[in-house]
Amino acid sequence: MFKIIANREVGPGIFQLVLNYDQLPQKPEPGQFFNIKVSQSGSDDPLLRRPFSIFDFDAAEKKVEFIYRVVGKGTKILSELEAETELDLLGPLGSPFSLNKNKGNVHLIGGGMGIAPLYYLSKELKSSNQKVYLGAANKAELEFFEEKFKGLGVELHLAAMEEKLEIKGSALVLWLNYLEKNTPDYVYTCGPEKMLVAVERECLKNNIGGELSIEKRMGCGIGVCLSCSCETKAEDQKNKRACVEGPVFGLGEVVLSA
Amino acid sequence: MPEKQSKLEQKITKAELNLSVVMQSQQKSKQNNLNLKNPLITASGTCGNGQELANFYDINQLGAFTTKGITVKAQSGNQTPRIAETSAGIINSIGLENPGVENFILEVLPETKEYTLPILANISGYSEQDFEVLAEKLEGREELAGIEVNLSCPNIKGGGMIFGTEPEKVYQITKKVREIYSGYIIVKLTPNITDITTTALAAEAAGADAVAMINTLSAMKIDIEAQKPLLANTFGGLSGPAVRPIAVKMVYQTFKKIDIPILGLGGVKNGSDVIEFMLAGATAVGIGTINMTDPAAGPRIIKEVEEYMLKHQIKDLSSIIGAAH
Repeated sequence: MFKIIANREVGPGIFQLVLNYDQLPQKPEPGQFFNIKVSQSGSDDPLLRRPFSIFDFDAAEKKVEFIYRVVGKGTKILSELEAETELDLLGPLGSPFSLNKNKGNVHLIGGGMGIAPLYYLSKELKSSNQKVYLGAANKAELEFFEEKFKGLGVELHLAAMEEKLEIKGSALVLWLNYLEKNTPDYVYTCGPEKMLVAVERECLKNNIGGELSIEKRMGCGIGVCLSCSCETKAEDQKNKRACVEGPVFGLGEVVLSA
Repeated sequence: MPEKQSKLEQKITKAELNLSVVMQSQQKSKQNNLNLKNPLITASGTCGNGQELANFYDINQLGAFTTKGITVKAQSGNQTPRIAETSAGIINSIGLENPGVENFILEVLPETKEYTLPILANISGYSEQDFEVLAEKLEGREELAGIEVNLSCPNIKGGGMIFGTEPEKVYQITKKVREIYSGYIIVKLTPNITDITTTALAAEAAGADAVAMINTLSAMKIDIEAQKPLLANTFGGLSGPAVRPIAVKMVYQTFKKIDIPILGLGGVKNGSDVIEFMLAGATAVGIGTINMTDPAAGPRIIKEVEEYMLKHQIKDLSSIIGAAH
C-alpha cells in the first residue's frame, strides 16, 4: 500500500505527488512507471488506472515521487487527494532507460511533462558529463524543475515558448543550437512526439545513439490489452507494447507519429 | 424453534463449499464435458497468454483460461489510439493483433503447458473458411480443452460481428467447426443484435457445446477538443461495469430458451457480479476488463463468491444457476 505524504502544486496546474510505500517488488529504475488507481472508494469512474513515470525515488526514505499536470478527470481527482490518503499503485512497470553503458558526453532533452522521468534518470546516471535541455510553456512551469536539476549539479539549459529564458522557443530548438559545437555521444529524450521525432532524426543523421520515452494511451499497463502497441521498424515488423517493451525505446526502434 | 437451532449448529463451513461447475457437452461422451473448479474464466484478450497475470497470482486458481483471439494469419491490429474511456467502461478497437495460428501453436501454446487449468483458444475469422482452417489447425492439440469461436468481434472489417448477427451464418460456421473440431466448442455471441436468443439457438442447433455472451457493445467516443472520433478506428467495443446489466439480461433471456450452458460475461468486477450472472443462468462467468484495472482480481472474486455462499449457506455453487427465474 502507498500513502500520500505530499500532493502539492509546484507550477501552474503541475503537481508533485510524494508517496510512502511499505514494499516494492523491485527497485524502480528511471524511465519505468507506476499505474495509479485515481478513483476512490470503489468508484468505477474513471475505470482505468493512470500511468505516471517516476520523477524520483528514495529507497532509504521509502519514497517514490511523481510530477503530473492536471489535464482531465483522472488527474483532477488525483490533485484533490490529501496527505495520508492511501493509494493503489501497480509497479514499477515497463522497461527503463539503460544506465550502464559507457556513454561519454550525455544530453538529456525534455519538453513539458516529459521532463519528469529525466530527473530520476539524471540522478541515477551519476555522471558529471551530462547536459540537460528543458523546455516548457513558461518560466513558472520550469521553476520547480530548475531548482531540482540545479541540485544535481548538472549543466542546465532552459527555454520557454512564451517568454525568453536562454531562448524563446522549445527545448528542441535550444538543444539544436548547441548540437553543432557540442555533439553528444548519447541522448535521452522525453516529451511531445513532434520533439521526439526531430531529436531522433538529428541523432540518426549524425550517428548519435540514444533512447526516448514515449507517451501512449494505455489500457492495462501490464501488457495484456495491446492498446498501446507501437509499430516497429524491425524486419519482422512485430509490434511492441509501450507498457512492457517500452515506454523507453532505442532511437529508431519504433515508428513515431509527428 | 428447536429446529432452527439445530440448523444453526450444522452451519456449512468454508471447507465444505463446492465451487465447481460442469459445462456439459452436447457430444455424447462425458469426457467432453468441461469441468471447472470454479466458474471463473478469463475473457479473451484481457489476460495476454497468462504470463502477464502470473506476476500477480497463480492463474491455476481460476476455472479456465481463454487466450487472446487468433486468426489464420498474423495481424498487427488497428491504428492507435485503440482505447477510450467512458464512465464505468472502456471502448477498445484493438483489431485482433495476434501472431497468427501457426505462431500461436509454435510459440504460445508451449507456454501454457505448465498450467493445470483448462485452456480455451479464442478464434476469429474474416471468412467462413478461416474458421474451418483454424479448427483444423487446433484439432487434436492436447494443450487445449476447447475453442471459443468468436462470431462477434466488432473491430474487424468484413467479418467477426457480421457472422454473429445472422442466425443462419452462426449455424453454418458452428456446424462446420463442429464437424472438424472434436473438443469443447463455445460460440461467443454479439449483443449488437435485436434478439440474442436467435443466434444462441442457432449455435445450439449446430452443435455448439456452450455459448458465451456477451462480446462488447458497438460504441464510440468523440474527442470534443479535436472535434473528431477519439479512436483511430472510429468505432470500438464497450466493456466494463457499464455493460453488465445488459449482459445479465441477455443471459437471463437466453437461459430458458437453450439447453446448453452459458458462459456469462460483461463487466464482472466482484463476487456479487458472478453470483448475479449465475442466478440469471450462467454456468460459468468470464472476467475481462477487471483484469486490466485490477490484475489480481481473480482470487479476490473467488473469495467474495465463497463469502456469499457462507452467508446464504449454499454448499454447491452450481445449485444457484438460473435460480432467479
